[in-house]
Amino acid sequence: MFARVASERITPGANTARMLFHTWPFLVFLLIVLPVFFALRKTRLWLPWLTVASYFFYGWWNPHYLFLVLYATVLDFCLVALMDHCPREGNRVDVLARLTRLRFDDRVLKAAFLGAALATLGILGLAVAGPKTLRPAMTALSLLVFLMALGALFSSRRIWLLISLVNNLALLLFFKYARFVVENLNGVFAWAHLSSLKLPDPSALMPFGFEYLLPVGISFFTFQSLSYTIDFYFGNVQRERNFLRFATFVCFFPQLMAGPIERARHLLPQFHQFPEIRLQNFTDGASLFLVGLFKKLALANYLAYYVERVYDNPRAFGAPALVLATVAFGWQIFFDFSGYTDMARGVAKLMGFNLILNFNNPYLATGLGEFWSRWHISLSSWFRDYVYIPLGGNRGGTFNTYRNLLLTFFVSGLWHGASWTFVIWGTLHGLGVVITRELERSAFYRTQVPRLAKQLGVFAFVSFAWVFFRAGSLNDALLIVNRVFTAAWHDPQIPALMIELVALVWLYQFLYESRYRYLLQTGLVRVGIAVFMVLYLSLCASGGGAFIYFQF
Amino acid sequence: MAATKTIGIPDTPFVNEVRLNAWHWIVVFAILAIIGLLTPALWKRRERFEPRPDYRIPYGLSKDYWLYERRLQPIAPTNVVVLGDSVVWGEYVRPDGTLSHFLNEQSGQPGKFVNAGVNGLFPLAFEGLLRYYGGPLRHRKVILHCNVLWMSSPKADLSTVKEERFNHAELVPQFYPRIPCYKADLNQRLGAVIERHFTFSEWATHLQIAYFGQKSIPNWTLGDDGRDPPHYPNAYKNPLAQITLKIPTEPAVDPERGPNSPRHKPWSASGEGSTRFEWVELDQSLQWAAFQRTVNLLRSRDNDLFVLVGPFNENMMAAENRPAFRRLRDGIADWLAKNHVACLVPETLSSALYADASHPLTEGYRLLADRLYNAAAFRSWLDKGR
Repeated sequence: MFARVASERITPGANTARMLFHTWPFLVFLLIVLPVFFALRKTRLWLPWLTVASYFFYGWWNPHYLFLVLYATVLDFCLVALMDHCPREGNRVDVLARLTRLRFDDRVLKAAFLGAALATLGILGLAVAGPKTLRPAMTALSLLVFLMALGALFSSRRIWLLISLVNNLALLLFFKYARFVVENLNGVFAWAHLSSLKLPDPSALMPFGFEYLLPVGISFFTFQSLSYTIDFYFGNVQRERNFLRFATFVCFFPQLMAGPIERARHLLPQFHQFPEIRLQNFTDGASLFLVGLFKKLALANYLAYYVERVYDNPRAFGAPALVLATVAFGWQIFFDFSGYTDMARGVAKLMGFNLILNFNNPYLATGLGEFWSRWHISLSSWFRDYVYIPLGGNRGGTFNTYRNLLLTFFVSGLWHGASWTFVIWGTLHGLGVVITRELERSAFYRTQVPRLAKQLGVFAFVSFAWVFFRAGSLNDALLIVNRVFTAAWHDPQIPALMIELVALVWLYQFLYESRYRYLLQTGLVRVGIAVFMVLYLSLCASGGGAFIYFQF
Repeated sequence: MAATKTIGIPDTPFVNEVRLNAWHWIVVFAILAIIGLLTPALWKRRERFEPRPDYRIPYGLSKDYWLYERRLQPIAPTNVVVLGDSVVWGEYVRPDGTLSHFLNEQSGQPGKFVNAGVNGLFPLAFEGLLRYYGGPLRHRKVILHCNVLWMSSPKADLSTVKEERFNHAELVPQFYPRIPCYKADLNQRLGAVIERHFTFSEWATHLQIAYFGQKSIPNWTLGDDGRDPPHYPNAYKNPLAQITLKIPTEPAVDPERGPNSPRHKPWSASGEGSTRFEWVELDQSLQWAAFQRTVNLLRSRDNDLFVLVGPFNENMMAAENRPAFRRLRDGIADWLAKNHVACLVPETLSSALYADASHPLTEGYRLLADRLYNAAAFRSWLDKGR
């Protein structure tokens, strides 16, 4: 039932060793972690055990990046602690007076100032006179520590927040986007005959000659950690005083790699109480895990083969194959990502924790806005709360609302990957949201257009946008779009079994959201579906590729 | 625990109805247990499998270990099972040109000697095959072939450090003893260990091998015809229609095997070679250690064992290479004698009777069977306990 084969696109750094939910090593890991966790759940030791298990899980992928997640965790924990020592209402600060009168009312801030000031000097010294390989990292660190000294000096919550933002986004920027930025800037320099300004490859900045790899799950744990500091800054969560609890919140292994991106106010309180585990935790957890496993192994991996066949060589295929492969990719990524989330929620549930819902049958949405309230819910709500609303949200008129929407989706596209194809994908969705909002203003659209037509329209638009998400390059994406309208109509040779499986799932979803839902609620149907899924997995599972969203 | 206050935490929402309660799960497990236990057993009744006297598992089904176990089950206690790799199976010959066939001829009893060789196997894998799928082989007379080819170099012995990919990796020891050139990841190793113990999983593999070209059903629907540009002949086919309940057999006319095949010819026109094999030391050989464990395993199952060592194609070797080979061959015979295992080390056949270093041609098998059948040691072993 579990995966035997592995061939897929996967994020760098994940190739050496894997502990995916659908692999045997994870089962063994779980068989060790869960019994100990159950035994310790009424003692103080359950939390340290969970922390150790989570760090082990992450370290299995690449032990070097444990330092990264630990660094991000320690820094945000300390920043919030320091923020807690600063007055909530910021007074106007007389910079000159503050600089000439170095007196501190708060001992912690005084210690932070002294520590940060000394650290700045020390790290700056390393940056100047230390090993060459350390210089870039030390220069960046000295700047950060200098900002910390300023934060302590001015008792400014805003500076602490700024440091958290800079630190988390810098990690993300460096590991995920630096090469993209450098390549594009170098392209511009070459175009402008300024090749002398050519920037070095980011790998040259890695200390000790470490390999420049994208750490798995970096976009998820940085966003999760960042949400805590932002929420604390705005007074939405209380400060977490227990480091282990905070560390577990940041690296809780079920959702560490690909979400759902949890909020402190949802997950941290669950770590404050002894986990309560009932029989329902097992039955619900197993139900979620089975559905996730089926989505991943039976559906996503199967669809992936056809998608790869067509997208790896789009010139060789006619319009029907390109359209069907694009639709297949839409389902592949849904099954892959929502399958991961289901398994994550299932594993968390087994331990007595509830993770938030991340997918809610998105291909039944009747509008693009609704689509984003059903697709990757934890990310879209993150962007809503921390990008869209701070930009002004829907305050300030239609133009500003749409501008904010487009900007938010632009950033969301960029979050998914360092490539123009992702930017275009995000922007297309932004435009789609704007267009459906406008359409929904008209009474005709609201009342006369059948629900099914809206659903199919949204699905068609989302599928079109997936072309840019999936294509290997912008040229490939444009080629595919072009060929969809111009290429000959050859037999797509898509397996009928594939179409039947996807059609069954879609039909199930339609039924689930219809008045015939009761048909699915009988014990016979539930048991029948579960038996079918297990048997299908035993007989027909297609390989064991990594999850697509691990690369984000 | 600093704080144990109860905080209202929302329940885990479901967006489908596959939310099973405890009773549902019990029913699911019960149904799966029934299906898992009954299906392979019922399948054996429905699927036609009637091995004839010279039957050998077709090469395409070599990895169908469930079928191998099934092949061993109906063997009569009076029959003699011939175990080994492609030498026993008969890589260059037709089913009626194998060692077991000529032994049957010698004995005058068709079907007395059963060809239970598997093409592509080697001692490390054979040990696994017999350990996990050779359960029915008890209280029988067994001829075990020892092919010294597997000790002819560190690479053949699988004792090199550089990664090697080989057949039947699922059968070799996954963790201990360590095979240095076997670099499968932990998932593959654990998967191999776990799946050995699930009959249903092996039966599923049987379906894939016997009816779907060694592919899972989804992969079979995606299979191409190997041409350029490729065509996908199975895309619109009904997979269930593939399950004909007839196990594939060897082709009636196999262009790759038998006297009429271009491959069926002596290894060299001159009949003399100068190959220098890098014979490994017996006490350091992984394959030999596996062979020893296989001997012990078969004997622990109360089988009466006879080991046939070689005959390896000595004509192929450079003269200075032969003493090392003979030391190794004699070492094998010594160990077998010390452990009271009946054995025979037949003299090398003439050069023209070999297709390569270890595989005889049809006439080679005929001669070997003749020598074996008429050897006193063999006759005494064969007649013992009759």
